[in-house]
Amino acid sequence: MHLFEKIFNHQIISRLEDSGTFMVTSHERSWLKTMLEHPAAAEAFTADTLDKLRSILASDQVMDTSLHLIEKARSLEKQVYHPLLSTLRRHIMNKSGMRITYEIKGGRVKTDHSGFPYKLEYSMVKREWYLLWYHTRHHAFMSTRLKNIHAVTAESIKQSTAERILQEFGNTLDSRKSEVVIEIIRTYNEELSRILYAFSSFEKNVEYDLDNDTYRIRVCLLGDEMKYLLSKIRFLGKRVRVMEGDYLKRRMLESSTKALERYGVVTATVSEERSS
Amino acid sequence: MAKESFDKEIQFLRMLVLTSGAFSRQQFAERLGISVHTFDKTIRRLKEVVSSLHQVLPQEQSKELSETIRYSYYDTTDPLLLFLFRAKSVKESESQRISMLLGAMNEQALTAMELLDVCCSSLSSDLPLPDEKTIRSDLKYLEEVGVVKKEPGPRPFRYRIQDDLVRNLSNDELIDLYDFVDVMANTQVPSVQGYLLRDGLKKHLLRNQVELHAVEPFLYKYHYYSRILDEAHLFTLLHAIRHQRKVRFLYFSPKSEKSYASKNTNPLFERDTEGKAEKTLPLKIVYDHQYGRWYLLAYGSEGIRKYRIEGITQIEEDDSVDEAWCEEKKSELAAKMRYSWLIDTGRPVTVRARFYNPGGSEPNFVKERVMLQGQWGQIVSEDEHSFIYEITVNGTTEIKPWLRSFGSSCEILEPLQFRRELIAEWKEIQAYYASV
Repeated sequence: MHLFEKIFNHQIISRLEDSGTFMVTSHERSWLKTMLEHPAAAEAFTADTLDKLRSILASDQVMDTSLHLIEKARSLEKQVYHPLLSTLRRHIMNKSGMRITYEIKGGRVKTDHSGFPYKLEYSMVKREWYLLWYHTRHHAFMSTRLKNIHAVTAESIKQSTAERILQEFGNTLDSRKSEVVIEIIRTYNEELSRILYAFSSFEKNVEYDLDNDTYRIRVCLLGDEMKYLLSKIRFLGKRVRVMEGDYLKRRMLESSTKALERYGVVTATVSEERSS
Repeated sequence: MAKESFDKEIQFLRMLVLTSGAFSRQQFAERLGISVHTFDKTIRRLKEVVSSLHQVLPQEQSKELSETIRYSYYDTTDPLLLFLFRAKSVKESESQRISMLLGAMNEQALTAMELLDVCCSSLSSDLPLPDEKTIRSDLKYLEEVGVVKKEPGPRPFRYRIQDDLVRNLSNDELIDLYDFVDVMANTQVPSVQGYLLRDGLKKHLLRNQVELHAVEPFLYKYHYYSRILDEAHLFTLLHAIRHQRKVRFLYFSPKSEKSYASKNTNPLFERDTEGKAEKTLPLKIVYDHQYGRWYLLAYGSEGIRKYRIEGITQIEEDDSVDEAWCEEKKSELAAKMRYSWLIDTGRPVTVRARFYNPGGSEPNFVKERVMLQGQWGQIVSEDEHSFIYEITVNGTTEIKPWLRSFGSSCEILEPLQFRRELIAEWKEIQAYYASV
């Protein structure tokens, strides 16, 4: 198998698109057949569809990648599919409203709230699905773990309202983003690639200051993502330093001070702060 | 024609993704070890691929490539870098002919001669007309890659497009299939073939009156989207492993400044490359979820060696080795890797750490995360406020960042030297923010 096949060439693909031809290679079918062996397949399809797929793919090979590939530092794969996925994705597709009963922090249950589903989001870190939705009465954007949804049914909504909410989602999410700046401590420029990899799952720009041979990463993110970014910054330790972003700076000071306390070390700066 | 290599494009895209916007043309070219002229040529070529795949609005045509492939969470559901795998060059006449043949076989099963007629009557007159031999060799290729199928029956054979996957499924089933492919391509490795399939299915759904909104219901958070660049080498390496063959390549350690050297065919103009020529027996591939990076573990003259796949260029298969010997090396490696947090094959040590539960009525996210990410480590004791996690790992270097990422919720107990290291690091980090 070679990934650079001429059949995947961009001119061929765009011509096929023009003529409305669906093309699939044995590479793709092998991949699909391999993925159907994952337990998630049983949750993704009805037994009938699964049988149908298996018979369509009967003459294709299963990939043997897993024999030669080791995945390391992977989160435990608690959940790839969730039973509600297929229902919710259809509500999203139909731009339908919904009536939802869900559990919030502390275990309290909110019953029969009206809302509009926006997207389903999977966290690669937590290995769990979330529903991003609009709470009609509170005019709020919500994110609820699928496992905390007790019940959900479709509810009609005016098409114009649906369109307006979709529009708002886009605008609001963008306007809520803020920026922080992280500098790579120059001594660690040798590890540039690794450090940049760690930030590659964020929206970011990198600036290079030639005179000082220094890199700065400008990360653009939503407020609720700060905690994850914080754990990444701690992950990299003394290789990076937050230059702009008061919340992160404060939390880094707090982390280091508290960590040192755990180790029974009380430093000069901290004791001065205490006496003042 | 020499085998087309995509090393330059891969190194180029990786640098573009990682350093988004940091370098000028000159700096960028320098770091890749290529001339500004080659740099411009590569950009032009990649832009060409991107623009033929996405119908871009005129005002967007002039957008910089770096902008086009800039990751933007809510707007990006298509894998940004997939176009790399669409970059194989094909002659204009060939791409016209192949797509025409497939279009014709889409409607009905046809013989080679019938297909020749189709081509002769519909190919534009400025292109050379194909002969029967060309058509037969096209059909052979298309059959090999599994795109068309020979119908059962007597000669002359009839061929039709192999599209049972969409033909035999209902619309509802197609949506389920599309979702499954989307989820698996995004959450599992390898994923390039899945992304290619997703792309085909998506276009098929859009042609059949499904709205764009309907095919983009999912988002994936904290995704290492550049990981697919290294899948370009994956299958070459897998092939070599499967057949116990050595590989040769020019290796650029990611710590060196340059990451690519042009390969000059004329030895007179050959310049000093900073890469190192390697010849080694590949044993295993490792994907590291912590950074989204790939490694090759191989056996060479110095014993077991580890290579970052991103540093491998000009890879070629070499001679094969004895199977039994190869198996022996593989089990040696497996034994050494047993306690690798990532790929460290150093001496195993036992690490003990105390984790502190968050106070109050908050859910215990510390413990949740330790259980989710702590690999084979165990929680050995527990009280109201904290728990002790224990793990045997090869060396402490690779696990350290993970433990440190918990901040003050994690206290290293053993080994003592490791504990001291962490104290020293926290002191330095605290000093960074002393003025806050």
